[in-house]
Amino acid sequence: MIILFVALPLVIAGILPLVGKVSRRVVPDLLANATLLFLLVYAAVAGRHFIAAGPVLQQLSWFGEPVAIRLALDGFSLFMLLAIALVGLAACLFSIDYMEHYGAKANYYALFLVMVAGMNGLVLATDLFSVYLFMEVAAVASYALVAFGLGQDELEAAFKYLMLSVVATAFILAGVAVIFGMTGSLEFAAVAKALQELNAGAVVGVASAFFIMGFGLKAALVPFHAWLPDAHPSAPAPISAILSGLLIKVSGVYAMTRIFLNVFGLTPALSTVLMSLGTLSLVVAAFLALGQKDIKRMLAYSSISQVGYVVLGIGIGTPLGIAGGLFHLFNHALAKGLLFLTSGSVQQATGTRNLDEMGGLAKRMPVTAMTNLVGALSISGVPPLNGFWSKLVIIIALVQAGHPVFAVIAVLASVLTLWYYLLMQRKAFFGKLNEKWAAVKEAPFWMTAATVFLALLCVGIGIFFSSTVTTWIQPAADVLADGIHAAIGSWGF
Amino acid sequence: MIVQTALLIGLVLFSVLAILLRDLLKSAISLAAASLLLGIVFFRMNAPYAGVFEISVVAGLITVLFILTIALTKAGDEVRESRAVNWVFPLFFVAFIIIDALVMKGLLRKIPALASGAETGTFGDVLWKGRTFDLVGQIAVILAGVFAVLALFRKRDKHD
Repeated sequence: MIILFVALPLVIAGILPLVGKVSRRVVPDLLANATLLFLLVYAAVAGRHFIAAGPVLQQLSWFGEPVAIRLALDGFSLFMLLAIALVGLAACLFSIDYMEHYGAKANYYALFLVMVAGMNGLVLATDLFSVYLFMEVAAVASYALVAFGLGQDELEAAFKYLMLSVVATAFILAGVAVIFGMTGSLEFAAVAKALQELNAGAVVGVASAFFIMGFGLKAALVPFHAWLPDAHPSAPAPISAILSGLLIKVSGVYAMTRIFLNVFGLTPALSTVLMSLGTLSLVVAAFLALGQKDIKRMLAYSSISQVGYVVLGIGIGTPLGIAGGLFHLFNHALAKGLLFLTSGSVQQATGTRNLDEMGGLAKRMPVTAMTNLVGALSISGVPPLNGFWSKLVIIIALVQAGHPVFAVIAVLASVLTLWYYLLMQRKAFFGKLNEKWAAVKEAPFWMTAATVFLALLCVGIGIFFSSTVTTWIQPAADVLADGIHAAIGSWGF
Repeated sequence: MIVQTALLIGLVLFSVLAILLRDLLKSAISLAAASLLLGIVFFRMNAPYAGVFEISVVAGLITVLFILTIALTKAGDEVRESRAVNWVFPLFFVAFIIIDALVMKGLLRKIPALASGAETGTFGDVLWKGRTFDLVGQIAVILAGVFAVLALFRKRDKHD
């Protein structure tokens, strides 16, 4: 029952506001976390069982009559579902304590679950229009969540995010329209097949340009990144974690990769464009992150930079490059989720996001300081943490594919990443305790539990990286490396 | 052909007016006029359902919502816009028209003509049987919208 990934969070979201009238805190907390826990177990256990014999296509029926709900689960989509469930669960656990003072918890969880349903639907969709639609589902929920605090800057950030997101979806819709006009179909398999026969390079080029602008905006690649450093820091911390950790990757990187690799087929020109955009993002955003004083803004710039790595890896187009890109996507989702959560703990304890005002917090918040260090080192690519292995794979793939210049840039940017993260760690947690924070206490139980959960995953995946790669990353990379054959061969209904 | 061209030119003109006009009310009415013309274009191109939705929802319902909202705002609430808007938009618009005129004709010729197949069913068939998964998405979008309104217009009890 693949549809459960979409239907379950939607149904629970539908009943949550009603439940919220009866119980304002406990039952919504329980319901939302139980839903995400179920999705995680379902993806991790049942999901792998489903695709053991290859991609699964499901055509639903309604009272015996088939309806046009067609879902496809393959290695790539299952991998994304797992990432969504993992980071989603951590953010949801964190919310139990963190969202306490915002009020309207049931509504918050309802929006949260709609966003998860939107991301899951996008990942399982088999046609271009459904991709657009579920992208909107996740986006509409995320606008409200960014503005959830109702402060001046939250509302402004949400508005800016909304406006640029609308531009992105307009481009995506234009791309979809061009493809539909040319092939007469929206389904991945049919479009891939028709494009092979049509040989209409120029028009595919136009559609690709639209998609790059649209998905580039969604993924916040430089030069389409202006909205992200405002939107992500303004949201409540668990939502920042989801936006940076998941949403930009699902509605930007996943959709772009699926369409370019499995439907259009990666051409050398497209590969060069993707690699250049990725490199530009990872360098420019790393420099921008270096100058930030706001801890969450620094993390937001770092997200742009790391998405650059992911796109660079996938853009190489070789099986190793794709595997490295996907592995980094997964690792960044975990580590950036973790860092946004710890920054939330710090913000809640001290009331500030300004790094210059912090200092010595490790003495008062030892667990938060430790988990933050794990996240920072993981993203910077320090062995033996998970981020090291994925960056290593990307760099090896770059050298193998004959792009030594890109490889050198990637290594240098990684040094830059380590620099700004150590700066952040030192300013916030190490050094002399600022006297203002003498009364600060460690974050409440569930907030700490969520960060420890993600930190353990970062360490665990770093140590057992080879088994993670063989069980989760490789099946996903195989689907992408298979190119359009993956869609034509096994996705036709 | 002449009618079609006139309609399309009118559509572009009213859309530009909607962006450039300073008075929000006039701007909303220009948008409604643009949408009405688009609806007529849809009708003429044998897409009656698209035309009906365009005219009833966009030209009708949404215009009413816009005008209601504008009526609810007080005088003195104007936000000062950056002067850059005055020249950036026309600049982009002219650039777009030039590129459009140069490129589009050649590009359109390269699009292989799609065989226009017979009608594949009634509107209801297409909506319910052809695009069922999209209906799930529609439900989700509406849910998201409702929850967003509930969340953003809640009483600010403890926060702030």
